[in-house]
This record gives sequence, C-alpha cells and structure tokens, in this order.
Amino acid sequence: MIEFRSVSASYDAETPVLHEVSFTIEDGDFVAFVGTNGAGKSTTMRLMNGLLEPTAGEVLLDGTPTTQLRTSQLAARVGFLFQNPDRQICCNTVRDELLFGFKAQGRADAQAEAKVDAIIERFGFDADAEPFLLNRGTRQLLALASIIVMETPVVVLDEPTTGLDFRECAKVMDVIAEMHAQGTTVVMVCHDMEVVGDYAKRVVAMTAGRVVADGLTFQVLRDPAALHAAHLLPPQVSQISMMLVERNAELADTAIAQANTVEAMLDAMQEQEEAVSHG
Amino acid sequence: MAKFLEYVPGDSFLHRMNPVAKVLCALLISIACFCTGNLIFLVAVLILDFVMAARCGMARQAAGLAKAVAIFSILLALIALLGTPRGPVLVTLPWGYIGIGSIVAAITVIMRLVACAIPLFLVMYVTQMNDLANSFCKIVHVLYKYAFTFTSAVHFIPVFMNDMSGIMEAQTARGVAFDGGMVKRIRLMVPLCVPLLISSVRKTNSAAIAAEVRGFNLRTCQSGYKDYPFTGLDVRAIVACVLLVAVAIVVNVLVPPLF
Repeated sequence: MIEFRSVSASYDAETPVLHEVSFTIEDGDFVAFVGTNGAGKSTTMRLMNGLLEPTAGEVLLDGTPTTQLRTSQLAARVGFLFQNPDRQICCNTVRDELLFGFKAQGRADAQAEAKVDAIIERFGFDADAEPFLLNRGTRQLLALASIIVMETPVVVLDEPTTGLDFRECAKVMDVIAEMHAQGTTVVMVCHDMEVVGDYAKRVVAMTAGRVVADGLTFQVLRDPAALHAAHLLPPQVSQISMMLVERNAELADTAIAQANTVEAMLDAMQEQEEAVSHG
Repeated sequence: MAKFLEYVPGDSFLHRMNPVAKVLCALLISIACFCTGNLIFLVAVLILDFVMAARCGMARQAAGLAKAVAIFSILLALIALLGTPRGPVLVTLPWGYIGIGSIVAAITVIMRLVACAIPLFLVMYVTQMNDLANSFCKIVHVLYKYAFTFTSAVHFIPVFMNDMSGIMEAQTARGVAFDGGMVKRIRLMVPLCVPLLISSVRKTNSAAIAAEVRGFNLRTCQSGYKDYPFTGLDVRAIVACVLLVAVAIVVNVLVPPLF
C-alpha cells in the first residue's frame, strides 16, 4: 500500500511542485494519474519510490516512510519505468540488461537467470542483441521487461506508451494488464485517455500540483468539473456514454453510464436492448 | 535558481555590456591574475569578482563556483606544496622540503585559479549564447560555424548534466546505490557513460540535421539583425581591466615575494 499524507515537494526548495497531496493506493489497484504537463504527476511518481523526498508530509510504503528505506529496499518493492527507455538501458546485451536489476540488488543467482530466460522467451527478445540498436518500441518493451522480471509488488510507469505506435502501445499495455491481473499494483502516468479508459480502474486527476479528482475511472472521466479543472478530453466511449445519458436520463443508472471501453459499451447496450424487449 | 552555465536574466552593468567586451575583460582579469603571485592582489581581484557577481545577483552561484574551482585546484596546490621548497623549513622531504613559502605557493595557486575562473563563468551566466556567437561573428569576424560549435558545446553541458542525472536516477530506481565513497561512485557511474554517450550522439546528430535543414551553411557575418556596438561602458570596463593588468605587472616587479 502506498500512502501520501499531505505531501508537498519541490526540486529547488523555492518553487513548490506539489501542494499537500493526499491519497492512498491499495494493493492490487490500477491507478492512472492524468493531467496537463507540469501538473505534478511525474513528481508524484518519483516520490513513490524515493527518487525524490517530500519537503513536507510523508510518503508511506506499506506503512514505512520512503525516507527510511534504502535504495535497494525501495527498488525491490517498487519497479519504476521511465518515459525514456534510453535513460534506463545501460548494458551491452538484452540479457545483461534484464539481469542488471538483480545485480544491482545483489540477487543475481540461478533463480534470477531462470527468470531472465523466461522473460526473454515470453517477449521474444534476442538475448544477445545490442539494446541500443533495437527500435523505440522494442526498447520500451525491454525497459518494461527489465522491471517485470524483478517481480516487484508495485510498478510505477511514467508515460509508458509515449512515442509508441498503436500496435506497440497495445502490446505494452497488454503486458501491464496481465501483470495487474496477477496481483501487481500498477500506478501509471498517461496522457492517452483512451488507454486510461481501457485499462485503469481508478483515475487521479491533477493540476498545478494538486489532486482535483480521485475516483473510479468512469466517475472521473464523466465528471465535467474534474475534466475542466485538469484540462482533459474524455475518451470517445465516455463521450458517447455521456451523450446517451444526456438524451435519456433513465440510462444514468445503467451499465451504459459506466462503460469505459468499446466492449463494455456494446455489452451494456445489448443488456439494455434485452431489458427493453423483455420489459 | 540558475542551472549550470544557464543564462540569468538581469539588468546589471555586466548584462548591458557588449559580449565581446565582456569576454575581453574576463580574459584581461585572468591575465592579471597570472601576471603576479602577490596574494594581496589576488585577494583584491577575488573581492572584485564577488562584487561583480553580487551586482548581477549571482553572489551565491559565485561562491559555489569558487568552492568547486578550489576543490579542483587542490591537486595543483598539492604539486605546488611539494614542489616549491621556499621559506623556513616545516617538513623535510626526500627531494626537498615543505616550507612556509610552499604553503603560500599552494594558496596562491588556488586563489589565482578561483580569481580568474569567476569572471569567465560570470560571462557565461550574464550573456545569451546567441549574443555571444553573433557578436563574435559581427565584431571579431569569427566564422559562424566555429562560434556555433563553441556555443553548442556550452549549451550541451547542462543538457548532458541533466541526462546524466536522469540516467543515474533510472539506475537508482533499479537498486543501484550511488552513495558511498568516490571510488565506488566512479565504478558505478562508468557503465552509465554508455547511455550518456548514445544520447549525446543522438542529440548532436539531431541538432546538426536541424541546423542543416534551416540553412546553417548560408549564414554569414552579416546575417544577424542585431548589432553589437561598443558603448562608453564597454570602453571604461576594458580600460579598467587593462589598468588591472598593468597594476599586476607593477606589483610583480616592485613588490618582492614574502618567501
């Protein structure tokens, strides 16, 4: 569990970037942080694994302040995927890159080797390939794989789909969804509202270093005040859902009003049609 | 707060000076520092440096810079200490001795480097890189590609520092602990030079292509709209700095060393 208690943060001790932010992320949650550039989302992510220390308040990881945990302890609990994979990749082969985290934490044993072999097979990587010669999407996947292989209970993803084409984006997000299905807590910064709507269970909207909305994905993405405050455009499914509810107020209590994905919307509409035909 | 070598906006006399005059004055101050080993003179120059920095609102940065240069010059000071046997003997060495004069020589090395480094760095902080390049092209007729190379190199220093910081942060998130002794830090940082090098080459390549497609090679000395005339302030500053060099030479000739 990650808990922010009235956290303020600043990079230069002069300009505050976060202002008394409070929220709790439960184990197994899938939370998307949304908002404009400069809203404080990435700063919030950096606070989660101790890359940044709060200037006021506390960030608790399973009840322990991150300031009291050592780098290796934090890294073993919170995996962090950076927006730019080239900042993370530093080894000469894909295999070395995947093993790097284990080596850094002093856990490079036979078990680690087996995990690396398994992930190489799962992602279809060439183990001896030079990481910097891979294309952008594959480098991002490699960076993600090097986080997944560590099997941390929490993963923090700072804009994991930036710069990826649709196919690469879907591949990365499917891997993340699979991790979440297996019990990993996922915290993600994302500007793509379609991705947020499709995958996140909860959304935290930020603007100017403050949380302006925090709730279930369908609630936040249909909250006009939150969308306006965080300068967000909801995904098309949410927009259609809102239009349908606007035209027919009776739909407000149905699954149509809560659908985030095309599949969910189709299912909800089918249910509605069946209900109308039966009743 | 300004980052390393990042322009600090302001309206001080240094900000208003012609970029070429600023560089010339900084070089003259440096020459003055190397013309004499008189500690009192060097202290005076150091005070002058800090007064100029304070006028630009950069006293704190100047103090930080002085500290950094002092640390870097410790090696040279050590060589001076061990290799300049002067004054009353304090410690005997197999190849000579360390005397009071040796200590003065070591302090002089540090003072001299700090005193001449501050004005050179101040020039960078109070001058836009574009103005620096354009003024040298217009006034000194330096070819733009050389001026651009210099300003790009300076411009990339904070960019690369930021990149290195980001790379270190990414590795910290993976469990690499960069705390500990200098040797451990260096050992951990060496592998990180690979991503830094890759990102540097990519950035430089992108910048070169971007410059080419915007007609970089068509630029001449007359291409810029902005003129950089010398004003009375520039002339007075240059004269003052020339006088400083003259005083340094006179002090060196007339005032005998203490040891």
